[in-house]
Amino acid sequence: MAANPNPLGSVPLASSAQMPPATQNPAFPTAAAIVNNFRELIKDPKTLDDAANYLYQTLLDDAVAGIFIETHHLRKTGNLSALDGVVEDNAESTYRICEMPNLDIFGISTAKKPMDCTCPNCDRLVAAARFAPHLEKCMGMGRISSRIASRRLATKEGTSASSSSSSTYLQSGGNTGGTDDEDDVDWSSDKRKKKSTQNSRNNGSKKNNGKTF
Amino acid sequence: MTVSNVVDQYTVLTGDRSKIKDLLCNRLIECGWRDEVRLLCRNILLEKGGNNSITVEQLITEVTPKARTLVPDAVKMDLLMKIRTILAENDADI
Repeated sequence: MAANPNPLGSVPLASSAQMPPATQNPAFPTAAAIVNNFRELIKDPKTLDDAANYLYQTLLDDAVAGIFIETHHLRKTGNLSALDGVVEDNAESTYRICEMPNLDIFGISTAKKPMDCTCPNCDRLVAAARFAPHLEKCMGMGRISSRIASRRLATKEGTSASSSSSSTYLQSGGNTGGTDDEDDVDWSSDKRKKKSTQNSRNNGSKKNNGKTF
Repeated sequence: MTVSNVVDQYTVLTGDRSKIKDLLCNRLIECGWRDEVRLLCRNILLEKGGNNSITVEQLITEVTPKARTLVPDAVKMDLLMKIRTILAENDADI
């Protein structure tokens, strides 16, 4: 079947411009020629069916070829056997689900274990359920430990009242020669210490402050 | 010029070919055809597996007819109809 020569020979196309229009090669028709051919083809419903069938077959074959090549590739690279996988003999015993009473699916007892936490502040073992209240008391927060809190508050108020608050605070620390934690433990000594600071403030002399330093 | 030539050229020109191909592939994957064919290939390879004698060409000639018959009728009809409408609507567009 010879292609009908392009009736719209003047269509500006790169391919048609390159080759002489007189010698239209049937193997390389222009785009317009293709469109025209196609239009004529699908005017007839029968050929349209043919075309659809043909296209379907071609594309189906393409798809099949794709699968073949994929499989072939897998086989050549040795991945086909990897897809099959290895039969696991001991899978049953290793991953069996345990159905005994009082045991969970891994075969571990469901009985409650006593959980103990170590308090980071005082290093004592505390039951998990009691840990939060203990920590609250231990670290001096909340209402229950209001003793410590109020004492701290009082200290602050007392020192802030004076003009040289920072110096008296340092002074008290210097007197006991310890940290705040130690103060917490001994309440009475702290009281005494506070009194002494009060006295020094009452004397109100800078000299006194200087002495203690 | 044959029907196949014209259709090939036209569909490539307008870009419908890839569109239809995508449609077809998706539809075939959905209906499980792809897995069936893959299984078929695997079985044939396992039968003749020991020696590496079988080539891709041999495999293609052997399995292609089976693969064609494996496509469900409903899917085939559906696809043919869709291809036809795509071709026809192109005619209307231009």
